[in-house]
Amino acid sequence: METFDVVVVGAGPGGYPAAIRAAQLGASVAIVEKEQLGGTCLNWGCIPTKTLIAGADAFARIKHAEIFGITVKGAVMDYAALIERKDKVVGQMRAGIGSLLAGNGVKTFTGAAGFVDRNTLAVNNIRVGAKKIILATGSTSAMPGFLPKHERVVESRRFLEMTKLPDTMIVVGGGFIGCELACMAAMLGVKVTIVELLEDILLLLDPDVRREVRSHMEKELAIRVLTGKAMENIAADSTGVRGTVGGETLTAELLLSAVGRRPVTDGLQLENAGLKTSERGLIETDDYCRTKVANIFAVGDVTGKIQLAHYATAQGLAAAENAVNTKPRKHDVLVPNVIFTAPEIGTVGLSEEDAGKQDRAVKTGRFRFAGLGKGLATGETTGFVKWIADAATDQLIGAAAVGPHATELIAEATAAIRAELTVAGLGRTIHAHPTFSESWMEAAHAVHGESIHAPPKKRR
Amino acid sequence: MATPIIMPKFGQMTEESAIVEWCKKEGDKVAKGDILFTVETDKSVMDVESFEEGMLLKIAVPPGVTVPVQSVVGFLGQPGEAVPAVPVARTPVAPKKTEAAPSTSAPKPVASAPSPIPASAPAVAPAPVATAPGRLKISPRARALAKEAVIDPARIAGTGPSGRIVEKDVEAFLEANRYDQLRISPAAKQLAAAEGLDILMIQGSGDTGRIGVDDVKRALAERPRPMSKMRQIIAQRLTQSVLTAPHFFVTVEVDMTDLVNYRAELKAKGAPYTVTDFISQAVVLTLREFPDVNSSTDGRNIRWNSHLHLGVAVSLEQGLVVPVIRNAEELTLAELNGRAKDLADRARAGKLAPAEMTGSTFTISNMGMLDVENFTAIINPGESAILAVSTTRPKPVVRDDQIVIRSIMKMTLSSDHRLVDGAMAARFVNAVKQKLEDMELWKRLTS
Repeated sequence: METFDVVVVGAGPGGYPAAIRAAQLGASVAIVEKEQLGGTCLNWGCIPTKTLIAGADAFARIKHAEIFGITVKGAVMDYAALIERKDKVVGQMRAGIGSLLAGNGVKTFTGAAGFVDRNTLAVNNIRVGAKKIILATGSTSAMPGFLPKHERVVESRRFLEMTKLPDTMIVVGGGFIGCELACMAAMLGVKVTIVELLEDILLLLDPDVRREVRSHMEKELAIRVLTGKAMENIAADSTGVRGTVGGETLTAELLLSAVGRRPVTDGLQLENAGLKTSERGLIETDDYCRTKVANIFAVGDVTGKIQLAHYATAQGLAAAENAVNTKPRKHDVLVPNVIFTAPEIGTVGLSEEDAGKQDRAVKTGRFRFAGLGKGLATGETTGFVKWIADAATDQLIGAAAVGPHATELIAEATAAIRAELTVAGLGRTIHAHPTFSESWMEAAHAVHGESIHAPPKKRR
Repeated sequence: MATPIIMPKFGQMTEESAIVEWCKKEGDKVAKGDILFTVETDKSVMDVESFEEGMLLKIAVPPGVTVPVQSVVGFLGQPGEAVPAVPVARTPVAPKKTEAAPSTSAPKPVASAPSPIPASAPAVAPAPVATAPGRLKISPRARALAKEAVIDPARIAGTGPSGRIVEKDVEAFLEANRYDQLRISPAAKQLAAAEGLDILMIQGSGDTGRIGVDDVKRALAERPRPMSKMRQIIAQRLTQSVLTAPHFFVTVEVDMTDLVNYRAELKAKGAPYTVTDFISQAVVLTLREFPDVNSSTDGRNIRWNSHLHLGVAVSLEQGLVVPVIRNAEELTLAELNGRAKDLADRARAGKLAPAEMTGSTFTISNMGMLDVENFTAIINPGESAILAVSTTRPKPVVRDDQIVIRSIMKMTLSSDHRLVDGAMAARFVNAVKQKLEDMELWKRLTS
């Protein structure tokens, strides 16, 4: 039996960085993957959706090119070609991960891993010994029981494989996956209806951010958003999908289910290692990624904390260091959240609503892109950025951006909040002109009522 | 003319009290009998009702500040009525501990400067607290520099005239403490400045030892704060007891099987007795046989108490209170039960009068509900012994050379060796034990 210092189970954004970091630290490392290197993120999640959204975005720009004096006639979207491009991008990145692992001397096993005991895994009947094990098995789309099993009823992974878009589509679930794919499809001409059981879509966001996105989705992309009601009596046949929402009958060619994800622990035989999952099926960990079994660590979606690829990576690096080094290190917990709807959203830290729930006194400052030279120049004026700061100490504790490049802009806010900067300090930081990032400085000024490029609340 | 609201005097011994919470805000309407505020006395937390009606015009003493009894703590009157600018205490008490209280002549005692730590706190580790800039001799420029650096100037040795701290002393101090090497996040520095902490005394836990907001919050949480009045009293009395009364401890095991069964039987018939009631009754009966154990001493004289005032310790969230069952020797088991229940209920509701918590001559401390094997208690000052009662649990014991399972309860008598010798303590606890195991006795007392 071959034995390694560290064996990582799952080669997604949590697992493969953990394997590489452990190897960098001098450990002998193996990684086990049952499907494709890169996991959900690369193969059926972040990267493919962003490739499609980039295509939809380019198409939308061409259609609106007349504002720059460009006339484009007969622009047509060949969706099959876009899907082909997506597969190429994914294939290239997948190969990249393979060579990174090989270059770092990480041995790859393909197959499903199961515990024999806490130091031994079985992969395709081959035993692999491990001093330390890092579980990074991720999550998979949950398909609720009330949905019929039919080819016209799909979850996100199947949707991304389709080479033709439907004319009409119902999206069940108004979380970020549902909203991103709804926006992408709507930008390519699909008539989309979102059905969300809770009182609003994207409910984790502050109301002002939600309002901005929802109104753009409804007005500019003509997406129907039905909230506060369940979809019932769902049936599918060769002609289409039907269901009722609050008495109204909805029909469409396709139904996309985006109601959440569940952790993957099937076949791991955790009990052989003395590990149990929580009631929700999660592997519980502390801030050092340690499970209740001393030599086993877990990272990413399977731990159920925040299900984002970059958080999994941060956990993976900490887990690898803690598996190899003697001095334990906590992973960071300040996690930016990015949503590629139209318009884009980026948030980090405490939301205004959370602060209210914690009875924390905060002050906020907003700046709209409509007041920004760069925004007017490029014709991207939807949305705003917002700071949330501690009222007593002026500390930046949260930020939200909704609008053009919001997913990029949130990086500055993340660094500022992690460094515990104050509003005053950020407001004095010189920002290049003319750029979108200037809006952070303007919003910081707004916190103190000192905006230059926004009218005062009271006329002097 | 606005009517002053006076801090009432609870009990003979109370010299000063602190308001725990104002139940009304300034500007609130107050009816006769409304609770104005709650007060922490030596013994408990009490509600203070309004004798008049009107509007709460002013709160002169904020919560947490200890003031002499009979002081003015606020004003009641009609809307718009003038409030005297200077509240006057009716009976100013010698300024013994007045550093904790706002000076009663100060126009605005509302500023809640963190009260200085009582001098009697040497066990508390030094914390990064910047002391209030009281009589520190320091130049304005030096003070401004220390403030800007967020450090405590009291730690600096002055080289100016008569030891005055001047700007270059602060500069030298900062250099000697490698202030330029200090790493602190802007928000952490802001918070430390607002809270009056000395950032040189804060340990950083960030990358390269940088001080972050969490580090400042940790220092804040560790900052010494005054004990509650109740804890101060507990601390003072128990320390006095341990230092003056030589304690020794005698433990016995009591077989409670029969009594527990009998109690269950009685309970099924609707009798309310608790196990504590039986223990209290057994103690009362035993104390009649051992007057030495119901006595007090000042170290030279012995006083045998003719009455038995039984203290029964009750654990509260804020601390411990010991309501007293007076003249327990005259009470039947049923009366003991009634009195104990009433006192314990009111103790938990904070409604005991101070007189109901003083004057005990013997105390029982029952931790039976807290799942403990055995413990020892500290004697209440002025008493000769205290009985610590632990949890009754099934245990293997030897009876007639056989191992059987019985419900066993341990109890430990702490005695003041000045009054009680070992043999007497042993006889006393065994007498209590025998009574608890004597079913004939209980059948007689409950029939």
